[in-house]
Amino acid sequence: MEPLNGLEITGRILWQFLPVWISLIVVFALSLHFKRRLGLYGKLFDSPIGMIGFGFVMFWIFTGFYAAFDMIITHDPLAQISGLKNEPPGSALRDPGPGEYPWYLLGGDNLARDVFSRMVKGSSIVIGIAPLATIFAFMVGITMGLPAGYYGGRLDTVLSFLANLILAFPVILLFFLLVTPEIIAAGVPSFMAMVLFFFPIVFFTVLLNSRYHSQPKIRTPLLIVVVGALLWGYLALISSEGYLVQTETYAIPLLPQALDFINTSSGFLVVFVAVVFVNSPTVYRIVRGLAMDIKTRDYVAAAQTRGEGPWYIMLWEILPNARGPLIVDFCLRIGYTTILLGTLGFFGLGLSPESPNWGATINDGRKLLSIYLHPALPPALALLSLVLGLNLLADGLREESLKD
Amino acid sequence: MSRDDYEGPILEIDNLSISFFTRLREIPAVMDFSVTVQPGEAVGLVGESGCGKSTVALGVMRDLGKNGRIVGGTVKFKGRDMGDMSDEELREIRGSEVAMIYQEPMASLNPAMKIGKQLMEVPMIHQGMNAEKARERALQVVTDVKLPDPARILDSFPHQLSGGQQQRIVIAMALMAEPSLLILDEPTTALDVTVEAAVVELVKELGKKYGTSMLFISHNLGLVLETCDRICVMYSGEAVETGSIEDVFDKMQHPYTQALFRSIPLPGANKNDRPLKAIPGNFPLPHERPPGCNFGPRCDYFEEGRCNAAEIPMFEVAGDDRHGTRCLRFEEIDWNAPMQLMETKTKGEIGPVVLKMDNLKKYYEVAANALFGGGQKKVVKANETLTFEAHESETLAIVGESGCGKSTFAKVLMGLETATDGTIMLDNRSIGDVPIEKRDAKTIGEVQMVFQNPFDTLNPSMTVGRQIIRALEVFGIGKNEAERRERMLQLLDLVKLPREFADRMPRQLSGGQKQRVGIARAFAGDARIVVADEPVSALDVSVQAAVTDLLMEIQREHKTTLLFISHDLSIVRYLSDRVMVMYLGHVVELGTTDQVFSPPYHPYTEALLSAVPIADTSVEKEHIVLEGDIPSAMNPPPGCPFQTRCRWKKDVPDNLCEREVPPMRQMAEGHQVKCHLADDILARMSPVIKIAAE
Repeated sequence: MEPLNGLEITGRILWQFLPVWISLIVVFALSLHFKRRLGLYGKLFDSPIGMIGFGFVMFWIFTGFYAAFDMIITHDPLAQISGLKNEPPGSALRDPGPGEYPWYLLGGDNLARDVFSRMVKGSSIVIGIAPLATIFAFMVGITMGLPAGYYGGRLDTVLSFLANLILAFPVILLFFLLVTPEIIAAGVPSFMAMVLFFFPIVFFTVLLNSRYHSQPKIRTPLLIVVVGALLWGYLALISSEGYLVQTETYAIPLLPQALDFINTSSGFLVVFVAVVFVNSPTVYRIVRGLAMDIKTRDYVAAAQTRGEGPWYIMLWEILPNARGPLIVDFCLRIGYTTILLGTLGFFGLGLSPESPNWGATINDGRKLLSIYLHPALPPALALLSLVLGLNLLADGLREESLKD
Repeated sequence: MSRDDYEGPILEIDNLSISFFTRLREIPAVMDFSVTVQPGEAVGLVGESGCGKSTVALGVMRDLGKNGRIVGGTVKFKGRDMGDMSDEELREIRGSEVAMIYQEPMASLNPAMKIGKQLMEVPMIHQGMNAEKARERALQVVTDVKLPDPARILDSFPHQLSGGQQQRIVIAMALMAEPSLLILDEPTTALDVTVEAAVVELVKELGKKYGTSMLFISHNLGLVLETCDRICVMYSGEAVETGSIEDVFDKMQHPYTQALFRSIPLPGANKNDRPLKAIPGNFPLPHERPPGCNFGPRCDYFEEGRCNAAEIPMFEVAGDDRHGTRCLRFEEIDWNAPMQLMETKTKGEIGPVVLKMDNLKKYYEVAANALFGGGQKKVVKANETLTFEAHESETLAIVGESGCGKSTFAKVLMGLETATDGTIMLDNRSIGDVPIEKRDAKTIGEVQMVFQNPFDTLNPSMTVGRQIIRALEVFGIGKNEAERRERMLQLLDLVKLPREFADRMPRQLSGGQKQRVGIARAFAGDARIVVADEPVSALDVSVQAAVTDLLMEIQREHKTTLLFISHDLSIVRYLSDRVMVMYLGHVVELGTTDQVFSPPYHPYTEALLSAVPIADTSVEKEHIVLEGDIPSAMNPPPGCPFQTRCRWKKDVPDNLCEREVPPMRQMAEGHQVKCHLADDILARMSPVIKIAAE
C-alpha cells in the first residue's frame, strides 16, 4: 500500500466521521425548522456565535457517543502495530490483515498506536465524565447554596467559609493528594464519593416531597420509586466488587456484585470525585447569590403567605427562575471540567496510563515534540475545539437570553 | 451659535416617527408626532406605559440605542435641525442646552463620586469653567434646590442621601449649565407623595426662575395639571390630543382623553353611586395596531367603515389656541353629554367585627455589629400600639408613605413575623403570636394578600393555572387534580379572565391581567381578609379602574374584609369605608372616609391630602409643602413622631410635641386623632380640597 497524501488523509478522515456529519445535519435541520417553538434553545439558532459553538459541542458529543460503540475509529486504540512507531500521518500498514484499515490516518505514536483512533476514543472519556461530573457538582452546589442564600445568617457564614476553604486549596495539590496510593488505600476517595454522591438523592427527595407533601397519595409511592432507584444507583456507584472499601487492612462490604450494574474503576472514581469536589464550591457561590436576589421577589413572599415550606420555595419558586445564569454557567463549567480532566491526564493522575484520554496523549506526544509533531497535535486541537465550542455556546446562550 | 439671541420656539418636533428594529420586524414606536415648546413653556406629555412618550424624549436627545431609528420627520432645536448636527455638536448640546432628568435618581448619579464633583463636572466640561468657579456655582445651585447644609451635601456620596434629596441633586445637575430645555421623564414616580409634592413645587419654581422650557413626561394627569402650561396626550405611538391645559382638561375633544378622565377617581366619584368607568379592551401591541384610528376598537363613538378606513390626521379645533385632536368625529360628538351611568351598586352591608388588633407592637432588634453580634442593640419600632377593628365586607384603607410601618403590619398579620406585644384576634382566635408554619391551612387561606408589583407577583416559570392550583393544593381544597382544575377555572371566571389563560405563562399577560391572577390566587382559599398592598399603583390608569372595580365586586359577593394599603388618597377616597393614616409606625388618624377627608385633620393627613395631585381644574387645593424627609425608624424623634415636619407645632404650648407622644383622642364617633393640638385649633382648620362651584 502507498502512503496517503494530504488531500486523501483529509478526505478519509472526513469520511470516517460520516455518522457524525449525518447526525449534525439532522439536528441542525430540525432545530432550524422548529426554532420558533423551542424557546431559548431555538433562539440559539439566531446567533451565529451560539450556532458555531453548538456545532463544535455537538460534533464532539456525537463523536464520543459513536466512538463508545467503536464506530469512527479505525484501529483498537491500545493495539500496537509494528513498524508504525512515530510514523507520519497517512502511513500504510505493512501487511494489513483482512478487514483491517490499511492506514494510520494521523500516524502512529511512540508506542506505534493509531493517533487518530486514540484521539477519537479520548472524546468518549471526556463526554462521559465531564457533563456527569458537572451535573453532580451542580447538585451539591445547589443543595448547599439555596439554603445559604435563602436563610442567610449563620448557616450562610459557615457554608461560605467551607466553600472558601476548598477554593483556597491548590487544585493540583489536592489531586496529587487524592491519587496518592496511601490515601486511596485509606479509602478517602471512596468516602468522599459516598458523601458527594449522596447529594442528588437529597436533592430529588426534597424536590418531590416539597411539591407533593400536601397529597400523600401521590407523594408516598412516587418517593418510594424515585428514592429507591436513586439509592440503588448510589450504592452501585460507590461500591465496587461487592465492597465499599477494600484495602489490605480492612474492608467494608456493600452491595453484592449481582446487583452492581455500574462498574467504576477506582481511577475513574478518583477523577470524578476530584472534579466534583473542586467545582461545587463555585456553583455554590453562584446559586447562593442568585437565591439572595430572587428571595426578595413578590412571588416568594406570595408563597410564604400561603404557608409554603422553605424547601418548596427554594426548589420550586427560586431555582427555576435562576435557571438562565445556571445554564450558561453549566456550559462554561463543562469546559473547565474538560480542561481539568486534561490536566489530570497530563499529570498521569487517576486514569490508567495507557488510556487514550487527551491529557495523557498530549503528555506522551510532548516528549518527542521537537521531532514528531503529529502525536501531540490532534488531541490538543480536539481539547481546544471542544472547550472553545462550549465557551461560544455559553456566550450565545447568554446573549440570546438577554434579548427580548 | 450664541445661546441668548435666539427668539422662537425652543423645540419643534415635526411629524416625528421613530421605529425600533428587532429580528422579526420593524416596530413603530412613535408615529407622526408633532409638538412645539415655546421659551419658558412647560409641555406635559401624558399617556399610558408603552405609548411612546419616553421614546419621544430619547428621540429628542438622539439617544435611541442600536435598534432605534428616526424614520421620518424632524426635530428642530432653536431652529436648527438636530438631524443635520454632527455627533460633536450633539454632544455639545446635550447636558448644556438640553438636560434630562430620569425616573430613578440613584441610577442617574455616579455612586463612586462625590456629589460636588459630579455637579462641578457639568460647567467644567461645557463652559470650560475653572474648578473654583464651578464649585461656587454648584453651591449656588444646591442652595437653589433647597437642600439643607449645601456645603456638606457637596462632600457626600449619593448613597448618603435620601431618595428625595438625590432627585433634587439630579435636578441641580440638570440646571448647572442653565439649559434652555429640560426633559423630565417621570421625575417623581419613585418618590413618596409628600416628597413628590415638594419636588414638583421646586421644579415649577426653578422653571420660572431660570426661564427654562420643560418637556414633562408623566402618566399622572394630576401632576401635569399642576406643572404644565400645555399638554399632549399620547396613545399607542400617536399624539391624540394637544392643547393648553384648560382646553384639554375642560373641553376635551378626543374620546381617549375623555375615557382617561372617566377612569381616574376624581373627588365626587364613589364606588357605589358613581363608579369609575374602565376603558374596555387592551392597549394594542405596537405591531398589532388596528387600521385607522388606534383607539377605535376601544372607543364608544366608533363608526365602522369610517374610523377604521384610513390613517387619521390631526385636526385643528377652531377657536382654541393650538388645540388639536386626532378624531374624525370630534365635531359630531356631544362632549358635554353626561357619562352614561352604569348601574349603581348597592352598598355592601357592613357585618360584625372579624379582625381586631389590640395594642399591637412590633419591634426589631438590630445588632450594631452584624458580624459578631456583640455591641449595643438598636431597637427599630416598626409598629407602635396599633389598635383597630375591621368588619366583615368593609374596606379599611391604610395610608402612609414608605417607612410608616404598613408593610410590617401586613407581615405580622400574615404570620411572617410575630408581634412583639399586643394581640390580633381573627374571630375569636388569637393569631398575633402564631407564625405561619403553625397556622392551619384554613387560617392561612382566610388571610391572604395581593401584592403591589404585578410583574413580580407571579412565578415567571410556572403557568398561571398551575400557580392557582398550587394555592388550592396548599389550602387543601378539592379532592383530586380534576376538582382543583375546575375550581381554578372558576377562579379565573371570578376575576374575569378567559379560561384559556390557565395554560399561559405569566410573561404572556399584561400587567392588569397578572394582577387579576394575583387576586384569583389570593381568593383561592375563600379568603375572608385580604391585605391589598398597593394593588393598582403600578398599573396604568385605564387598567387601575378595572382592577379596583373587580376587587370591589368580589368584596360585595364574598363579604371580604379588605385592608387596602395605599399612598394614593384619590383611590382611597373612592373605595374605602374607613381610613387609617400611619406615620412612622404610629396610627395618627383613624375614622370613616368622610371624617378623615374633612377637617379637623391630623396635621400629617392635611399635608398628605394637599400633596396628592388631582386632575381636575375645578379643584382648589391649599399648598402645604412638608419640609425635609421622613425620619428614620432607627432613630425616631422624641415625642410626637410628626413634630419634625409639622406646621402646627408652634400652636402647642410648652414644647409638648417634643416631649410626649400625644394620646389618641376621640374627635367624634369612630374618629380618632393622635395630636396635641387644642380642640379649638382643630375646629378652626379649613378643608384642604375645595371644589369650585360649577
